[in-house]
Amino acid sequence: MASQTANPPLDDKLLEEIHADSHTNTGIENKKLIMWLFLASDCMFFGTLISTHLIYRKLYPFGHPQEGAVDITGTFDIELTSFSTFILLMSSFLMALAVSAMHKGAIESFRRYTFGVILFGLIFLGGQVYEFQHFFHGQGWYEWTATNAAGEEVSGTEANEGVFHDVADTAAAKANFLHEHHGYELTEFKELKKVPGLSLQNSVFGSTFYVMTGTHGTHVAIGVLWLFSMLIYSYSGRLTPRNAIDVEIAGLYWHFVDIVWIVIFTVVYLVEYIEL
Amino acid sequence: MSATHVADPHHHHAVADKTQLAPEKSHLGLTRPDRHSGIIDWLTTVDHKKIGIMYGAAAMFFFLVGGIEALLIRAQLATSENHLITAELYNQLFTMHGTTMIFLGVMPLSAAFFNFLVPLQIGARDVAFPRLNTFSLWTFVAGATVLNVSWFFQFAHTVGWFGDSLTIMGADQPLSQIAPAGGWFGYAPLTGREYTGIGTDFWIVGLQILGIASLAASFNFIVTILNMRAPGMTMMRLPVFTWMTLITSFLIIFAFPAITIALAELMFDRLFGTNFFRIENGGQPILWQHLFWVFGHPEVYILVLPAMGIVSEILPTFSKKPLFGYPIIVFSGAVIGFLGFAVWSHHMFTTGLGKIATAAFSLLTMAIAVPTGVKIFNWMGSLWGGRIKFTVPMVFALGFIWMFMMGGFTGIMHSSAPADAQQQDSYFVVAHFHYVLLGGVLLGLLAGLYFWVPKIFGRMPNQKLGYLTAVLVIAGFNITFFPMHYLGLTGMPRRTHTYLGDMGWDLWNLVATIGAFILGIGVFLCFVNLAWTAVKGPKSPADPWDGRTLEWSTPTPVPAYNFAATPIVQARDCYWVHKHGDKKMDYQPDDGHGIHMPSQSWWPLLCGFGFALFGTSMAFYAAGVPFAGYCVITGLGLVVVGIYFWALEGPGGYHLEPPHDGEAAKKPTDSPVATAAH
Amino acid sequence: MSHATTWKEAAILENARYHTFFNLAMALAVLTGIEIVIIFLPWAASIVMSVLIVLSVIKFFAVILWFMHLIYDKQLLFWLFMAGMILATGTMIALLALFSIDDVDLADIASITSYASNLA
Ligand code: HEM
Ligand SMILES: [Cu+2]
Repeated sequence: MASQTANPPLDDKLLEEIHADSHTNTGIENKKLIMWLFLASDCMFFGTLISTHLIYRKLYPFGHPQEGAVDITGTFDIELTSFSTFILLMSSFLMALAVSAMHKGAIESFRRYTFGVILFGLIFLGGQVYEFQHFFHGQGWYEWTATNAAGEEVSGTEANEGVFHDVADTAAAKANFLHEHHGYELTEFKELKKVPGLSLQNSVFGSTFYVMTGTHGTHVAIGVLWLFSMLIYSYSGRLTPRNAIDVEIAGLYWHFVDIVWIVIFTVVYLVEYIEL
Repeated sequence: MSATHVADPHHHHAVADKTQLAPEKSHLGLTRPDRHSGIIDWLTTVDHKKIGIMYGAAAMFFFLVGGIEALLIRAQLATSENHLITAELYNQLFTMHGTTMIFLGVMPLSAAFFNFLVPLQIGARDVAFPRLNTFSLWTFVAGATVLNVSWFFQFAHTVGWFGDSLTIMGADQPLSQIAPAGGWFGYAPLTGREYTGIGTDFWIVGLQILGIASLAASFNFIVTILNMRAPGMTMMRLPVFTWMTLITSFLIIFAFPAITIALAELMFDRLFGTNFFRIENGGQPILWQHLFWVFGHPEVYILVLPAMGIVSEILPTFSKKPLFGYPIIVFSGAVIGFLGFAVWSHHMFTTGLGKIATAAFSLLTMAIAVPTGVKIFNWMGSLWGGRIKFTVPMVFALGFIWMFMMGGFTGIMHSSAPADAQQQDSYFVVAHFHYVLLGGVLLGLLAGLYFWVPKIFGRMPNQKLGYLTAVLVIAGFNITFFPMHYLGLTGMPRRTHTYLGDMGWDLWNLVATIGAFILGIGVFLCFVNLAWTAVKGPKSPADPWDGRTLEWSTPTPVPAYNFAATPIVQARDCYWVHKHGDKKMDYQPDDGHGIHMPSQSWWPLLCGFGFALFGTSMAFYAAGVPFAGYCVITGLGLVVVGIYFWALEGPGGYHLEPPHDGEAAKKPTDSPVATAAH
Repeated sequence: MSHATTWKEAAILENARYHTFFNLAMALAVLTGIEIVIIFLPWAASIVMSVLIVLSVIKFFAVILWFMHLIYDKQLLFWLFMAGMILATGTMIALLALFSIDDVDLADIASITSYASNLA
């Protein structure tokens, strides 16, 4: 690989020293041990959050004591979430490679993989922000007909709250439509289905959902910040193969965030689609 | 870890006193606060012994605060229909009394022992992460400050220092009730915004910060115990106190997350209008109870296991026998720890758990009494046939066994759900948990203080005063709490501000109040004795009790590096065996590099300061006081800055050379056979 | 833990891991794909549910064992982590069971209260 040439050459004595320094009773480096302990403890953090969510899901089939209060699958956007899930899984792959690179002493490769992890992490976060925004504002499905200058008539459906913001306000809808689809004038539209917005306050489901996924998102954000700091630090020249352990524990944290998402994706998102 | 090589590539001449070394710059280019003595040294120290002493001092201060709160409660209850203090203040007093005693009294005093003793007992020079240890200390202090600063604001408000300014400032919540008043377990929906004021916010944030401190400390101690043991110190040779520290630390890291999340959810309910526990929108207050006790029951073992560890060290020492059934004591400690996670609902029998759940939790609670009983039998076995010396620590330790056992008996009574339905929320429960917590835990901790203070300060406490204290504390305690069994069974509810005169409770309440003041005098005398010892007490030899474990083999006062040469452990009770048996301790040879010492740091202190600012402003932010939000962000910002600088300054480190006055300096100072051994 | 004594050995070891990691990443993607597809299949809920649980457990362990190196590391780490996992899962199951008792209808209590507060 061409990339390997950019990595500085290394002395085998260094490797020996690293091994000698990390000698402990258990044979596990202190930093690695403390990270695993933290992750074990973090299981209880997320366990409590997920328990809260599931208990209320079980208690309130409608996400709220009141029937029909929350349209959960209507609110969710499973394509987007699946995409985010995929991105997070792949970021884990890159993270594993970044750690691997440090164990080879390949700083340059470490930088590239880490950059990838950060990028994917940011995409995930972006997806979450987008998702939260949409959930918060709710969704509407509309059927419309429009004509263009040539008088041709087209029709379709749209899942877009923005354009048809207010069914009563035809003028605004027309202007919005023209803005989105140039040259087409809206002639007719009607609401097929509307999913009300989901907020922290308006239902128990909203509270448990946002706080749980928000806590996960905060974990991702901290991970991104951590890796980003490490990436910047690597340019100071102080990040040497001795710091492989530091990268490894950041990696452990990152993978953990990934496995928490594996659980959340299943028990919070996917199960909602099962028809009982 | 790698610091050994990084910090000091060209090994300069090492000296025994750090203040004589040239100052060192950190990676940030700032001078490390390594070379000071006095106040800067204490504020930035990473020495587990100094950290332990500070934990201990803070704990004793808060014992006094919590004790005064308790005496006020008892004064109010001394007679029927008393109006010494208002009902509102009464609520604040019992809330803060419970919270203070548990989180700011017992836990930090246990932490003081963890810190001072664990590295010494395992033959290590420090904990695994010295700066993290400092961080735990200051974060604890921050949390304690946040909780108690509410008293200050409450007082200022009550006497009218602020006039109406807090309300005029735009606070959208009535600010008359500023100190927490929701009980130590803060049951929903009482903690909702509709029912309690910013006291609850102080309580939430204070506990959150204390949780961070406990979690950080526990991670650190688990790594220390698993990874930093001297050669030959296998797990089954660990002193029992260290074992109990390990188990307690595991309990903390698995139990605290539950309350952290529950508190966060409650905070969201109060601040952002979520519906976790708000019944009007479908929240379930019962869920709070579950989450609280998922933490709460392990918490009671977090409180008691360290005391059990202490007693397990003291009894064999003064019976001149090895601990009876060491592996079984360790194993039952672990079983208690594990089962402790499976009994929480016994605090909720009367909420209607359903028949199966009630039966299951009832049985599991009875089961947990078995390993507890096993321990008691083993302690009795350790005494049996021994040459018992009734020293002060021993008297306290024996008091522990007896009082704790009584608390255990009432515990088993509670474990039967129908019986508990009668006892729940009555003074009977108050009697139960004071027998385990005060008669048990506190007596154990006091025993530990009298036992190890000669090592900690190098001075002997006054023994006569010690015996007097023991008598006052144990007698006062029983006079206070034994009548409460009777009060409870005749129906006196707990957390009652006052009671009518014709209930037949007057006499025993008066007795309890008198007992409480005797107890208060006893505890106060104990602390006076210890304070006096620290400055004026007669010098103590390094091994005044003919000890069994490694900490007694160090010189007194213990040098910064603990062990001039790392001991090689040959047996359980290795120092005892070394002195009186056939297996001598050996020492690792000097590698000529001097002793590597970790550098001190300002940053953990900055984090603590940030947490204190964050917590206090958070409560005012919740009340809607303007600009409080900026203070919250500033506080958090300081924490982040602290963490970054801490990460970037590099671990550093310097080398000390112990004095070379012959081989003897490295060997245990007053071991009769040490010289003969070589 | 890698016990390579030279950087060359370390490189060989890590390069071998690269293939493991790559295959694993692909497998994870495929399993996730299956998860997304089966929720739309007209199967019995219990079957879909069981498949989902099995698949996510597989994914979970795949990540902790390989990406997080538990399979290469000391066993102690695995058990430490499992302690947290088991306690968390056990507590979750117990809590869910505690909230499914049928002689008390918690949801009902809440709706009655909200009904009452709406009246007021
Ligand atoms: C043999 C062992 C024990 C058993 C069987 C036991 C059982 C119980 C039960 C069933 C209750 C609930 C009573 C009620 O609220 O109606 C209770 C309360 C309590 N226990 Fe224990 N217990 C034991 C040991 C301990 C220990 C070791 C501690 C602490 C060091 C402790 C501290 C407490 C506290 C603080 C409460 C009261 C909590 C509250 O409602 O404020 N217990 N115990
Ligand atoms: Cu309990």
